[in-house]
Amino acid sequence: MKKTTLWIGAILVGINVVIALLTLVWLPYDPTAMSGGRLAAPSWAHWAGTDRLGRDYFTQVMIGARIALTVGVGAALLGGLIGTTLGVLAAFAQRGFDDALAATLDILIAFPTLLLAMLVVAASDGASLGTAILAIGIAMSAIIARLVRILTKRVLAQDYITAARCSGLGWGRIVLVHVLPNIAPTVLVAIALQFGLAVIAEASLSYLGLGAPPPNASWGQLLQSAQSTVFNAPIGVIAPGLALMALVLGINFLADGLRDLLDPERGAA
Amino acid sequence: MSTKRFTAQILGLASAALLAATVAQADPAAVIRVGSLYEPQNLDNTAGAGQGINEAFNDNVYEALFRLNDDGTVAPVLAEKHDVSADGLTHTFTLKSGVTFHSGEPLTAADVKYSIERVTAETSKSSRKKSLSAIEAIETPDDKTVVIKLKSKSISLPYNLSYVWVVNDAAGDITGKEDGTGPYKLADWKRGSALSLEASDAYWGDKPANAGAMFSYFTEAAALNNALLTDAVDIITSVQSPDALAQFEDTSAFKISEGKSTTKQIMAYNDRVAPFDNVKVRKALARTVDKKMLLSAIWGDRGMVLGSFVPPTDAWYEDLTSVDAYDPESAKALLAEAGFPEGFTFTLETPNYDPHPITAEFLKAELAKVGVTVNIHVITANEWYTKVYQAKDFQATLQEHVNHRDVGFYGNPDFYWGYNNPQVTELVASAEASDSDAQQADKLREANRIITEDAASNWLFLYPQIVVSNTKTTGYPVNGLNAQFFLRGITKE
Repeated sequence: MKKTTLWIGAILVGINVVIALLTLVWLPYDPTAMSGGRLAAPSWAHWAGTDRLGRDYFTQVMIGARIALTVGVGAALLGGLIGTTLGVLAAFAQRGFDDALAATLDILIAFPTLLLAMLVVAASDGASLGTAILAIGIAMSAIIARLVRILTKRVLAQDYITAARCSGLGWGRIVLVHVLPNIAPTVLVAIALQFGLAVIAEASLSYLGLGAPPPNASWGQLLQSAQSTVFNAPIGVIAPGLALMALVLGINFLADGLRDLLDPERGAA
Repeated sequence: MSTKRFTAQILGLASAALLAATVAQADPAAVIRVGSLYEPQNLDNTAGAGQGINEAFNDNVYEALFRLNDDGTVAPVLAEKHDVSADGLTHTFTLKSGVTFHSGEPLTAADVKYSIERVTAETSKSSRKKSLSAIEAIETPDDKTVVIKLKSKSISLPYNLSYVWVVNDAAGDITGKEDGTGPYKLADWKRGSALSLEASDAYWGDKPANAGAMFSYFTEAAALNNALLTDAVDIITSVQSPDALAQFEDTSAFKISEGKSTTKQIMAYNDRVAPFDNVKVRKALARTVDKKMLLSAIWGDRGMVLGSFVPPTDAWYEDLTSVDAYDPESAKALLAEAGFPEGFTFTLETPNYDPHPITAEFLKAELAKVGVTVNIHVITANEWYTKVYQAKDFQATLQEHVNHRDVGFYGNPDFYWGYNNPQVTELVASAEASDSDAQQADKLREANRIITEDAASNWLFLYPQIVVSNTKTTGYPVNGLNAQFFLRGITKE
């Protein structure tokens, strides 16, 4: 049963990854070519119909997969890196710094991701893929950092750490040899779950016009531009909506499956 | 022929019967429920209230000396007589008698002077402030006479006065109340949702065909459309996309009317900067864009391609679509002549609301065909105002221009697009100093031809003005010029 979740997740995410990689080398149509009629219905030539400019919609949804994964992976890497570093630093730090960092993280977590993204966009020269990754990554790093801090403290309280310190092992070695391997499973699952949220956050941002600028067809942007035609061409919101759902569901399944696999205590219980 | 005549007779009879039926059933006590997207921020059109206040109040609550009719003509309302001195610098207006404000006070010349000065005041935020700048002094020799002295001749004075609400000079702050002379008075204003008007018993003119109106405000077009579908409103003042119309196809329940708006979508170049200071480049880009295709992508089979900045409701309109018509081949040749055989790259400042982003994508694809690369830079309406309009820090931008009679903008070299042709500046100025409407139209037509030949901007298309109502409601304005929505003729069964 548990393996099934993992497999379904892996397949859903795998399909998205394959499509995203495929778009780098091949697309059914030139995404900017106005090859069909206005809002054509789905057909063999155009699997998901065409948009208002007569451009193939399936092509755009395919490109959307690439953008969603790019932002998801980018934000997860950024958030994971910053979050883990900050979390470990906080756990090792003196009381004053630790408290200050913990308070900052709490504030950052309470701060809405979308608002943060708007600030990042306002501070830079317009919205782009980079600003989306940066904003989501920063928001994500706070959550990871808080988790890493607690986990690291727990590990540091163990007797074998005291033993290691007595034997003269430096802080750096302790982190690399004892802390990171111990906290890795939990942190990886957390990052995987955050990955799913990052994909949704990216869709929300581009829905609001704060993601990658057109014509980089992000799913959020596709949803936004299909909104006015939802009654006569519902495929315009169904296609990117389903794609978004499949990817996020896949990531969550994958994260759940990973947790069961990597956390033997939970598995036994 | 006999068949034709017979059919005509049948049709005539049928429409007469229909008319009779409508007249017979029109309910004078009906309140017209209007759905709109344009909620006024306050009730004063000189205090940044937005276009919604013109929609609700122009000619309904407040009248002016003149009215801009729905067909673009200007007719006297509160002015009974208008005399112009031989030098054209002194305009004498005699006011209608028997006119009172809703508060009961009679209309006097002092009210008119007060009303004009409200618009031209330092603190006024009226977009019409500049058009009245030719006024030097306003005199009121008696209660019924207003004398306006001008610095320079202004043929558009009656037209410009149609924007000046006549307000009671004792009314004070009118951002939250009103005191006009119109057929309706304000009954209730619920900020954020609705504004209701009721017919005024003391109105000086003919009684309106209904008892009042209730404007309901929506922030979302889909919600507005739903309100009409569920019979929460009788009429919606402007439909923003052709796709919404599919819901109203049932002709037994709904009526769709398409009028001529004055809203033009344009790609404005910054004509001061290279490469757009080169007329050949501008002409080339004009020829590269298939405007018919763009229009049909955005509006289906509605709206129209203009070929210039002047819409058909302006008296100086002419069809200039043949100037720089779609022809990518000659565009390439022109670009080569201008020194850009391989094209060039520019940034297009694109407001973040419909239809600008999709238009930008269309232009990007079209211009790529002649080697020109468009970088789409999405900005908010606020950024547009500060960066493009005020700082003029841009290469090209998309924008919609909503005003009627606004080709004169090209006569102002300091305008944001920086088009500077002394001949046009001179023609626009002398058009204003014309002695007759015909002379004004001739001069502006000539100016517009030059502007069009210069491809000063890339005029994409004219929006349609689409009003949808239930079949019980009739008699509403179809063009809605300058966002006006005259209520007095609307009937409901």
